[in-house]
Amino acid sequence: MKDRAIDEILKKKAPALRRVDSALLDRVSSAVQSCMQPVRPLPPSWLLAGGLILSCASVALAGAARAGFFGVEKLSEIQRAAIFSSLGIFIVLAALACVSAMIPGSRSRVSPEALLGAGSVALLAVFAILFHDYHTNHFVHAGVVCLVTGLVHAVPAAALCWAVLRRGFAVDSIAAGLAGGTLAGLAGVTLLELHCINFQALHILVWHTAVVPVAGIAGALLARSPRNRADSGSRTRAAGQ
Amino acid sequence: MGDDMGLLAGARAGDGEVCANAPSPAGPDPNLDALMSLYQKGDFTAATVLIARLSPQLHRFFMMQFASRADADDLLQETWLRIHRVRHTYRAGEPVLPWFYAIARHVRVDHFRKASRAAAREQRLDETPEVAAAIPSVIPGAADDFEALLAPLPASQREVIEMLKVAGMSLEEVARATSSSVGSVKQKAHRAYENLRERLGGARLKKGRMGGLS
Repeated sequence: MKDRAIDEILKKKAPALRRVDSALLDRVSSAVQSCMQPVRPLPPSWLLAGGLILSCASVALAGAARAGFFGVEKLSEIQRAAIFSSLGIFIVLAALACVSAMIPGSRSRVSPEALLGAGSVALLAVFAILFHDYHTNHFVHAGVVCLVTGLVHAVPAAALCWAVLRRGFAVDSIAAGLAGGTLAGLAGVTLLELHCINFQALHILVWHTAVVPVAGIAGALLARSPRNRADSGSRTRAAGQ
Repeated sequence: MGDDMGLLAGARAGDGEVCANAPSPAGPDPNLDALMSLYQKGDFTAATVLIARLSPQLHRFFMMQFASRADADDLLQETWLRIHRVRHTYRAGEPVLPWFYAIARHVRVDHFRKASRAAAREQRLDETPEVAAAIPSVIPGAADDFEALLAPLPASQREVIEMLKVAGMSLEEVARATSSSVGSVKQKAHRAYENLRERLGGARLKKGRMGGLS
């Protein structure tokens, strides 16, 4: 059976448009009329994405300015170029994914799940290629400090991202949380790369990279909480006016 | 402004026809875009025209998943309230239908989750399987031919077929409405057609055999 034959069958069997109860339409119209006000449409995607990128960069730079730019000073030119260009690419992609997730019916360039996976793997690959010191001094202690530092800086990045996108509406709150968490996690890793002087390969591969998936999963879990879902309606209502 | 008035006047002329002969908003429709812009500016007439034009299509979208008309009515009302709350998220120049369908889909998923939670709660309280079995009136049923035909397909494939073949949306629009890529929509449609081909081919073969026997 050819596709055209299936098309014909589907067309024949497809239910026709039916009259909707006029009382229901009247009810909807009067509900809409009762709170009809002009609203300001969201700004273009590039502007929102730019705001997100700027927020993440500010958090990473402010954090590094406070703690010291020791890491970036110790990195070679090649290491700097490779690390910060890959972080930059993934921050741009994550910002675009965040904006898509917060605007219904927008084009989805990359799914947040794929972004989290690809981002983590790409960072692992870049770090594995660039760092070859396989000693492990204070692996857990130093690692936990870096992980916590990265996550602590991911929190204000996430808060700023939420502020930029507060007027949006997530049709899939988990995907939006995952994208937001990933973006915030990337801001945390950027800070670590600017600040951390521990260049042991395993330290960077495990603890620095872990900031991205941990922040991403935390974002998805926060967005998944029932309270958050119940609140989303009232938030969008307030933000829409 | 003159164009806007003409647009509304034209739309108002067909306002009474909120039924099978309502203009199908399938495909690119610049009028919907203009109506949405007016709606965002606080024009109540534009909102009424949009409600009248798109409600039959959204209602059918819900009817294809929920056997009960009452459920579909509730969901339609909930969808319009949500659309009203988030109308600022529509940007002029973007396709309108995917925006509406993305919100309708969100309302449908929310409703399904709530119904599932309610079903789970009742099952725990009463511990009677009869009650739990009676609750999922919201689960897709094979009420008519179309539903029966699509019933064996996974929900994601069914949804893609409904949007492509019933609502008449393009691949790009379906991708936007379902927050996925065009490639993923194509893949789902292809798999759905494979399933349907197998099913329809099997049915035809069975019919042929029966015919041969009689």
